[in-house]
Amino acid sequence: MYLIEVKNLTHIYSEGMPYQTSALTDVSFNVKPGEFVGIIGHTGSGKSTLIQHLNGLLKPKSGKIIIDNVDITSKDIKMRDIRRKIGLVFQYPEYQLFEETVHKDIAFGPLNLGLSQEEADMRVKEAISLVGLDYEEIALRSPFELSGGQKRRVAIAGVIAMKPQVLILDEPTAGLDPKAHSDILKMVEKIHKTEGNVIILVSHNMGDIAALADKVLVMDGGRLALCGSPEDVFSKEDLLKSLGLALPPAAEFISKLKGKGINISSKPLTVEEVENELYNILNNN
Amino acid sequence: MDNIIKIENLIFEYKREEDNEIVKAVNDISIDIERGSFVAIIGKNGSGKSTLAKNLNALLLPSGGAVYVNGNNTSDETKTWDIRQSAGMVFQNPDNQLVSSIVEDDVAFGPENLGIEPTEIRQRVDMSLNAVNMYEQRKKAPHLLSGGQKQRIAIAGVVAMKPQCIILDEPTAMLDPHGRNEVMEIIHKLNSEGITILLITHFMDEAAQADRVIIMENGKSILDGTPLEVFRHVEEIKKIGLDVPMAVELAYRLRKRGVIIPDDIISEEDLIEYVFNRSKEFNSYI
Repeated sequence: MYLIEVKNLTHIYSEGMPYQTSALTDVSFNVKPGEFVGIIGHTGSGKSTLIQHLNGLLKPKSGKIIIDNVDITSKDIKMRDIRRKIGLVFQYPEYQLFEETVHKDIAFGPLNLGLSQEEADMRVKEAISLVGLDYEEIALRSPFELSGGQKRRVAIAGVIAMKPQVLILDEPTAGLDPKAHSDILKMVEKIHKTEGNVIILVSHNMGDIAALADKVLVMDGGRLALCGSPEDVFSKEDLLKSLGLALPPAAEFISKLKGKGINISSKPLTVEEVENELYNILNNN
Repeated sequence: MDNIIKIENLIFEYKREEDNEIVKAVNDISIDIERGSFVAIIGKNGSGKSTLAKNLNALLLPSGGAVYVNGNNTSDETKTWDIRQSAGMVFQNPDNQLVSSIVEDDVAFGPENLGIEPTEIRQRVDMSLNAVNMYEQRKKAPHLLSGGQKQRIAIAGVVAMKPQCIILDEPTAMLDPHGRNEVMEIIHKLNSEGITILLITHFMDEAAQADRVIIMENGKSILDGTPLEVFRHVEEIKKIGLDVPMAVELAYRLRKRGVIIPDDIISEEDLIEYVFNRSKEFNSYI
């Protein structure tokens, strides 16, 4: 049983105009409940167009998206029903904060879904704690006084307060320093564990994708070029490089080591795994 | 030593909006930047890196101390244009830096403002676009380019001013891996042609490519040296929430497990070379 079924999705921008471009061509894949999906691909490969279809911002030229047994591409679907199921966190979401207080900003989504003020307040408290902030300290402050990392957390809280079954994050760590970067990823893992939802993470950071995802989608020129486990996908080094993508740094390192003629049978994807591999090599005698 | 930039006890204060407290974003920094060098500045968000950078070409003026670019004090208003011409800046978001609807017009914007002759402008635009490998795209509209290409156009716009120094504030933060490589290649190329580079970045592998790394924390410079000297302080760097390049991290972890690793390993190539040589030794015993 799948939570998301994407079938032969095709989208064309500016159809019939001089700048007509096929943004998506015949994309099909499935996502099981609770799966963590990574999407990679260089700029312009169709990643953003794809995720904008998943929450109904864009309608396909042809093909279907079935989420939780509902075809969200059908004409008579209500947008509110889609948005209730699918939360989308855009790149640099902190630029979308707009309310006077953090509380009001996060409550905006739940209230729009038609929840009562009491229910919305509960959701706000839960969401603030899930993104690792302190409710008492932050709820009544203006979101604009916060640090960059805090603002981003508040923006993400605004989406998870709607309790989406599918949470899509587009480059949630872009522009953050190393500590804030790893904090945000830990937060995403925590949300995934607590809510048991599907996470779809779009990222240029192959190391993060390798460490977190159960399934990796590789986009190229609007097509789904590859789909599989991180182990499968990142074992196809030549193909990835021909698509302008890199291996996770750990895998890249091992590949160079193999290129020197050193025999390594395992396929490390993380720094820990490389560490163990090197430990074995260097402790050989 | 010939220094293009001299920073003497620089202090930059501002009033924080939420509580009207005076905050020292840069707190008593003294650094000299050698002409022709490639310096990377790293530090957490809010450590003062960008404020420091903006003090280097008179976008911000010191609250205390002084900054000299090519011997000109940035507080001397009559020198502002000389300073901005010799120290150009490139910012994080390429979309905020491009002003024209055609690539070559965008690159010409700076020199036009300097009041340079049209024939000379033409030469400079062609030279700059070639320098960033974007000459072929000169007639295109910037919004049709990739992020890496846009960022290279922004760099070309600075190069057309014939600067002696380019300050880049997280120029690769919004780019995909391919775009990042493109921009880093251009940075190395410009540096090899004698332009001083100051690169602010969150990517430790980029910092490791510089001649010198400065780590900022709370408005102060806390570590300053070659990448090898600076990244040796693994624990200190991690404590302030930063990272070290992957090869340094691996060497550090292996050393902790009792494996002998020389302390001059900074790049992946260094580590691969070492592992290769050691495994050759093992094999010769077999």
